[in-house]
Amino acid sequence: MIPFVAVVSLRNQQSRTFRLWIPLFLIWLLLLPLAILLSPFIFIACLVCRVNPWRGVALLWQILTALADTNVEVEHGSAGMSFHIL
Amino acid sequence: MNEHRRQILEMLAEGKINADEAERLIAATEEPASKTSDQRSRTRPKFLRVLVDAEEGSSGAYDGPTKVNVRVPMQLLRAGVRLAGLIPAQALNRANQAMQENGVPIDLTQIKPENLEELVEQLNDLTVDVDQKENGARVKVRVFCE
Repeated sequence: MIPFVAVVSLRNQQSRTFRLWIPLFLIWLLLLPLAILLSPFIFIACLVCRVNPWRGVALLWQILTALADTNVEVEHGSAGMSFHIL
Repeated sequence: MNEHRRQILEMLAEGKINADEAERLIAATEEPASKTSDQRSRTRPKFLRVLVDAEEGSSGAYDGPTKVNVRVPMQLLRAGVRLAGLIPAQALNRANQAMQENGVPIDLTQIKPENLEELVEQLNDLTVDVDQKENGARVKVRVFCE
Protein backbone atom coordinates (compact mmCIF):
# COMPACT_ATOMS: atom_id res chain seq x y z
CA MET A 1 0.00 0.00 0.00
CA ILE A 2 1.45 3.38 -0.96
CA PRO A 3 1.41 6.06 1.73
CA PHE A 4 -1.48 8.50 1.53
CA VAL A 5 -0.63 11.09 4.15
CA ALA A 6 2.52 12.64 5.60
CA VAL A 7 2.48 14.61 8.82
CA VAL A 8 5.02 17.35 9.40
CA SER A 9 5.11 18.72 12.90
CA LEU A 10 7.10 21.83 13.82
CA ARG A 11 7.65 23.14 17.33
CA ASN A 12 9.31 26.50 17.90
CA GLN A 13 11.27 27.84 20.89
CA GLN A 14 8.04 29.04 22.48
CA SER A 15 6.78 25.45 22.40
CA ARG A 16 4.12 26.33 19.86
CA THR A 17 3.38 23.37 17.64
CA PHE A 18 2.32 23.53 14.01
CA ARG A 19 1.09 20.30 12.51
CA LEU A 20 0.77 19.99 8.76
CA TRP A 21 -1.01 17.06 7.16
CA ILE A 22 0.19 16.60 3.59
CA PRO A 23 -2.22 14.59 1.42
CA LEU A 24 0.27 12.48 -0.53
CA PHE A 25 -2.50 10.84 -2.54
CA LEU A 26 -3.05 14.20 -4.28
CA ILE A 27 0.64 14.34 -5.15
CA TRP A 28 0.47 10.79 -6.53
CA LEU A 29 -2.58 11.75 -8.58
CA LEU A 30 -0.73 14.77 -9.98
CA LEU A 31 2.41 12.79 -10.68
CA LEU A 32 0.62 9.94 -12.42
CA PRO A 33 -0.14 11.81 -15.70
CA LEU A 34 3.37 13.26 -15.64
CA ALA A 35 4.84 9.77 -15.23
CA ILE A 36 2.72 8.51 -18.13
CA LEU A 37 3.87 11.43 -20.31
CA LEU A 38 7.50 10.89 -19.41
CA SER A 39 7.40 7.09 -19.63
CA PRO A 40 8.73 6.88 -23.25
CA PHE A 41 11.73 9.03 -22.31
CA ILE A 42 12.32 7.02 -19.14
CA PHE A 43 12.07 3.84 -21.19
CA ILE A 44 14.68 5.11 -23.68
CA ALA A 45 16.95 6.30 -20.86
CA CYS A 46 16.73 2.84 -19.26
CA LEU A 47 17.65 1.18 -22.55
CA VAL A 48 20.61 3.54 -23.03
CA CYS A 49 21.83 2.78 -19.50
CA ARG A 50 21.21 -0.96 -20.08
CA VAL A 51 18.73 -1.17 -17.24
CA ASN A 52 15.62 -3.30 -17.45
CA PRO A 53 12.85 -0.63 -17.36
CA TRP A 54 10.25 -3.03 -15.89
CA ARG A 55 12.59 -3.95 -13.09
CA GLY A 56 13.24 -0.28 -12.46
CA VAL A 57 9.52 0.48 -12.30
CA ALA A 58 8.95 -2.49 -9.99
CA LEU A 59 11.71 -1.32 -7.66
CA LEU A 60 10.41 2.23 -7.60
CA TRP A 61 6.99 0.86 -6.71
CA GLN A 62 8.55 -1.20 -3.92
CA ILE A 63 10.27 1.89 -2.55
CA LEU A 64 7.02 3.84 -2.72
CA THR A 65 5.10 1.18 -0.82
CA ALA A 66 7.87 0.77 1.74
CA LEU A 67 7.85 4.46 2.62
CA ALA A 68 4.91 4.04 5.01
CA ASP A 69 5.79 4.23 8.71
CA THR A 70 8.98 6.18 8.10
CA ASN A 71 9.52 8.53 10.98
CA VAL A 72 12.12 11.25 11.53
CA GLU A 73 12.20 13.38 14.66
CA VAL A 74 14.73 16.08 15.45
CA GLU A 75 14.69 18.11 18.64
CA HIS A 76 17.01 20.87 19.71
CA GLY A 77 16.26 22.42 23.04
CA SER A 78 12.58 23.23 23.12
CA ALA A 79 12.33 23.41 19.31
CA GLY A 80 11.88 20.42 17.11
CA MET A 81 10.38 18.90 14.03
CA SER A 82 9.04 15.53 13.09
CA PHE A 83 8.12 13.95 9.80
CA HIS A 84 5.92 10.91 9.69
CA ILE A 85 4.67 9.10 6.61
CA LEU A 86 1.42 7.25 7.23
CA MET B 1 6.01 -37.31 23.25
CA ASN B 2 9.71 -36.60 22.93
CA GLU B 3 12.47 -38.86 24.22
CA HIS B 4 13.58 -36.62 27.09
CA ARG B 5 10.09 -36.38 28.52
CA ARG B 6 9.63 -40.15 28.27
CA GLN B 7 12.93 -40.72 30.12
CA ILE B 8 11.89 -38.29 32.87
CA LEU B 9 8.52 -40.00 33.25
CA GLU B 10 10.21 -43.38 33.40
CA MET B 11 12.53 -42.11 36.13
CA LEU B 12 9.49 -40.79 37.98
CA ALA B 13 7.70 -44.16 37.60
CA GLU B 14 10.78 -45.98 38.87
CA GLY B 15 10.86 -43.69 41.89
CA LYS B 16 14.32 -42.30 41.05
CA ILE B 17 12.98 -38.74 41.14
CA ASN B 18 9.96 -37.13 42.77
CA ALA B 19 7.16 -35.18 41.05
CA ASP B 20 8.76 -31.76 41.70
CA GLU B 21 12.05 -32.84 40.22
CA ALA B 22 10.26 -34.31 37.21
CA GLU B 23 8.41 -31.07 36.67
CA ARG B 24 11.62 -29.05 36.83
CA LEU B 25 13.35 -31.41 34.40
CA ILE B 26 10.47 -31.25 31.94
CA ALA B 27 10.47 -27.46 32.14
CA ALA B 28 14.22 -27.44 31.51
CA THR B 29 13.88 -29.63 28.43
CA GLU B 30 11.09 -27.43 27.06
CA GLU B 31 13.02 -24.18 27.58
CA PRO B 32 15.35 -24.39 24.55
CA ALA B 33 12.38 -25.01 22.26
CA SER B 34 10.57 -21.91 23.48
CA LYS B 35 13.81 -19.91 23.16
CA THR B 36 14.26 -20.93 19.51
CA SER B 37 10.68 -19.97 18.71
CA ASP B 38 11.34 -16.58 20.34
CA GLN B 39 14.47 -16.19 18.24
CA ARG B 40 12.52 -17.09 15.10
CA SER B 41 9.92 -14.45 15.84
CA ARG B 42 12.72 -11.91 16.41
CA THR B 43 14.51 -12.66 13.14
CA ARG B 44 12.46 -10.28 11.03
CA PRO B 45 12.65 -6.83 12.56
CA LYS B 46 10.51 -4.20 10.89
CA PHE B 47 12.49 -1.03 11.47
CA LEU B 48 16.01 0.29 11.58
CA ARG B 49 16.27 2.82 14.38
CA VAL B 50 18.88 5.54 14.76
CA LEU B 51 18.86 7.47 18.01
CA VAL B 52 21.17 10.38 18.69
CA ASP B 53 21.23 12.18 22.00
CA ALA B 54 23.71 15.05 22.15
CA GLU B 55 24.23 17.42 25.04
CA GLU B 56 25.82 20.71 24.17
CA GLY B 57 29.33 21.35 25.47
CA SER B 58 30.70 24.19 27.51
CA SER B 59 31.43 26.25 24.40
CA GLY B 60 28.56 28.34 23.02
CA ALA B 61 25.22 29.29 24.52
CA TYR B 62 23.36 26.31 25.90
CA ASP B 63 19.85 26.00 24.54
CA GLY B 64 19.13 22.40 25.34
CA PRO B 65 20.13 18.98 24.12
CA THR B 66 19.76 17.78 20.55
CA LYS B 67 17.85 14.59 19.95
CA VAL B 68 17.39 12.73 16.71
CA ASN B 69 15.09 9.77 16.34
CA VAL B 70 14.90 8.09 12.94
CA ARG B 71 12.82 5.03 12.15
CA VAL B 72 13.24 3.55 8.69
CA PRO B 73 11.26 0.49 7.57
CA MET B 74 13.54 -2.44 6.74
CA GLN B 75 11.45 -2.97 3.61
CA LEU B 76 12.58 0.44 2.40
CA LEU B 77 16.21 -0.51 3.00
CA ARG B 78 15.74 -3.73 1.05
CA ALA B 79 14.07 -1.91 -1.85
CA GLY B 80 16.80 0.73 -1.83
CA VAL B 81 19.48 -1.93 -1.89
CA ARG B 82 17.77 -3.65 -4.83
CA LEU B 83 17.59 -0.31 -6.62
CA ALA B 84 21.33 0.14 -6.04
CA GLY B 85 21.75 -3.08 -8.02
CA LEU B 86 20.42 -1.24 -11.08
CA ILE B 87 23.10 1.44 -11.06
CA PRO B 88 24.84 1.33 -14.46
CA ALA B 89 28.51 0.36 -14.63
CA GLN B 90 29.62 3.83 -15.77
CA ALA B 91 28.04 5.42 -12.72
CA LEU B 92 29.64 2.81 -10.45
CA ASN B 93 33.05 3.52 -11.96
CA ARG B 94 32.59 7.24 -11.35
CA ALA B 95 31.49 6.58 -7.78
CA ASN B 96 34.53 4.31 -7.27
CA GLN B 97 36.82 7.04 -8.54
CA ALA B 98 35.24 9.67 -6.28
CA MET B 99 35.44 7.36 -3.27
CA GLN B 100 39.09 6.55 -3.92
CA GLU B 101 39.87 10.25 -4.19
CA ASN B 102 38.29 10.69 -0.76
CA GLY B 103 40.25 7.84 0.76
CA VAL B 104 37.58 5.14 0.67
CA PRO B 105 39.05 2.33 -1.45
CA ILE B 106 35.88 0.31 -2.00
CA ASP B 107 35.17 -1.22 -5.38
CA LEU B 108 31.40 -0.91 -5.78
CA THR B 109 31.43 -3.05 -8.93
CA GLN B 110 32.36 -6.02 -6.73
CA ILE B 111 29.21 -5.65 -4.64
CA LYS B 112 26.49 -7.85 -6.09
CA PRO B 113 22.76 -7.43 -5.34
CA GLU B 114 22.70 -10.79 -3.53
CA ASN B 115 25.55 -9.58 -1.24
CA LEU B 116 23.58 -6.45 -0.46
CA GLU B 117 20.49 -8.50 0.36
CA GLU B 118 22.60 -10.58 2.71
CA LEU B 119 24.01 -7.41 4.23
CA VAL B 120 20.52 -6.12 4.99
CA GLU B 121 19.56 -9.51 6.46
CA GLN B 122 22.57 -9.35 8.77
CA LEU B 123 21.46 -5.92 9.98
CA ASN B 124 18.89 -7.78 12.09
CA ASP B 125 21.54 -8.56 14.66
CA LEU B 126 23.22 -5.19 14.45
CA THR B 127 23.42 -2.89 17.43
CA VAL B 128 25.81 0.05 17.48
CA ASP B 129 26.20 2.00 20.70
CA VAL B 130 28.47 5.01 20.78
CA ASP B 131 28.84 7.02 23.95
CA GLN B 132 31.41 9.76 23.60
CA LYS B 133 32.35 12.75 25.67
CA GLU B 134 34.29 15.50 23.93
CA ASN B 135 34.86 19.13 24.97
CA GLY B 136 32.31 18.71 27.73
CA ALA B 137 29.65 17.53 25.28
CA ARG B 138 28.25 14.06 25.63
CA VAL B 139 27.00 12.33 22.49
CA LYS B 140 25.14 9.04 22.47
CA VAL B 141 24.39 7.28 19.22
CA ARG B 142 22.42 4.08 19.04
CA VAL B 143 21.66 2.13 15.88
CA PHE B 144 19.58 -1.02 16.11
CA CYS B 145 16.76 -2.97 14.52
CA GLU B 146 13.40 -3.61 16.13
